[in-house]
Amino acid sequence: MRALRIAATGMAAQQLNVETVSNNIANMNTVGYKRQRAEFQDLLYQNIERMGAQSSDTGTIVPTGIQLGSGVKAAAVYRITTQGTLSQTGNKYDMAIDGKGYFQVQLPTGETAYTRAGNFAVNQTGQLVTTDGYSVLPQITIPQTATDVSISASGQVQVTLAGQATTTQVGQIQLANFFNEAGLEAIGSNLFLQSGASGPPNVAAPNSTGFGKIQQNYVESSNVDAVTEVTSLIVAQRAYEMNSKVVTTADQMLASAAQLKS
Amino acid sequence: MDNTLYVGLSRQVTLQRSLDVTANNLANVDTAGFKMESLIVNTDPLDAPAPTNTPVQYVLDTGLARNFAPGSFETTGNPLDLAVEGDAFFTIQTAQGPVYTRDGRFAISADGTLVDKNGNAVQADGGSTINLDIKKSSPSIGRDGTVMQDGVQVGKIAMVRFADRGALSKTGDNRFSSPATNPPLPATDSLLRQGVVEHSNVTPVVEVTHLISISRQYERIAAMMNAASDLSKQAVSRLGRVA
Repeated sequence: MRALRIAATGMAAQQLNVETVSNNIANMNTVGYKRQRAEFQDLLYQNIERMGAQSSDTGTIVPTGIQLGSGVKAAAVYRITTQGTLSQTGNKYDMAIDGKGYFQVQLPTGETAYTRAGNFAVNQTGQLVTTDGYSVLPQITIPQTATDVSISASGQVQVTLAGQATTTQVGQIQLANFFNEAGLEAIGSNLFLQSGASGPPNVAAPNSTGFGKIQQNYVESSNVDAVTEVTSLIVAQRAYEMNSKVVTTADQMLASAAQLKS
Repeated sequence: MDNTLYVGLSRQVTLQRSLDVTANNLANVDTAGFKMESLIVNTDPLDAPAPTNTPVQYVLDTGLARNFAPGSFETTGNPLDLAVEGDAFFTIQTAQGPVYTRDGRFAISADGTLVDKNGNAVQADGGSTINLDIKKSSPSIGRDGTVMQDGVQVGKIAMVRFADRGALSKTGDNRFSSPATNPPLPATDSLLRQGVVEHSNVTPVVEVTHLISISRQYERIAAMMNAASDLSKQAVSRLGRVA
């Protein structure tokens, strides 16, 4: 019975939907997290009676035909890269990107990863690093004698050294941008890698054309909206139930066919 | 006598097919741009062979009705989600020629082309594609399909309609194809909405009601066939007694 298999594809799809929603809810308070959405497409159709087929010798044509679908499949789990809200932390190494772009981070393997999470810190040598201790690229070292750090909208890192009236620039933040941000490969820890789908990075200073500006003392919260996620969860659960109802119905029909008297 | 069994069987076959169609609708209850379908069932009168020649009304499924009513719209705020208001379709360029879709959840490819979720380019007016500039801000898409980046027009998304939507066939992946006899026409009266997704137009309540009705009808036909079987059994036993 085809209906059983179709309902199974529907249940599998809704299970993926619930998994995606639960990951969004779990990361509701993850800095720089972007919500994901499971997207579905219908599966191939089988032409039982092809539309446009002749139905008589005089040339009358079947207007609609019969096409039987075979269910649903997951086309993508798409990352929605809209801006998250900026929340103030008061931490001087916290940076949020207001607009497009990613911070560049050097992984221990030497690869460059990209992140929207700007909750940085300095390590024992004064280098600006992520919460995992990976250094931010280009590398910026804050001198030990610095009494204050200020980061401008265009990413210039300036420090006030003890006993000096003027500030000194110690580095410049560079952001990377991609044609297809949603195509970046997530590797966990808020980090992304370049992929064949994302295209190569386009690196420039913050606040230049097409790039967002840096907001010091802020972090970007996740763009997960609790109400949207809970609504999606309800939709997914009901859709799952209805597909299981199809299984029950198909089963009842098979049972009554099996009990026919010979 | 046997006609009862065969008429019942013809209905049970169409009911199973009806269940397949309903199952597909319910499986796609959350598929963007999906259009629900229902089976068209007709009587198929046949003259029984001599000596009775009584016409017997068999049941035959003759077609599939596709409901092109718009699905519900959800505002997502994602600049690459587009929904069509009106009866138009987007055109997607594939290796097998153009296909049409109502699913406007697009993306940008690695080289900056506006593509669908399978990576096929979305067609612009005049048969070209929409190519975005990475150095500029997110595209803003006007109600008529004009794509602007930083105030400069980069293209216009093609919207097409068909004289006969019934002639479209589904090819999976939320796409429709159209025969050469039903070419796409420019749709001037349809409007686009950016940041909106058109959901499936399946009405879950209706589909679940169909499920109940299908399963009860199937059971009633089965009961009728059992009754016919009992009748013939009784006939045999009584006739045997007379002899």
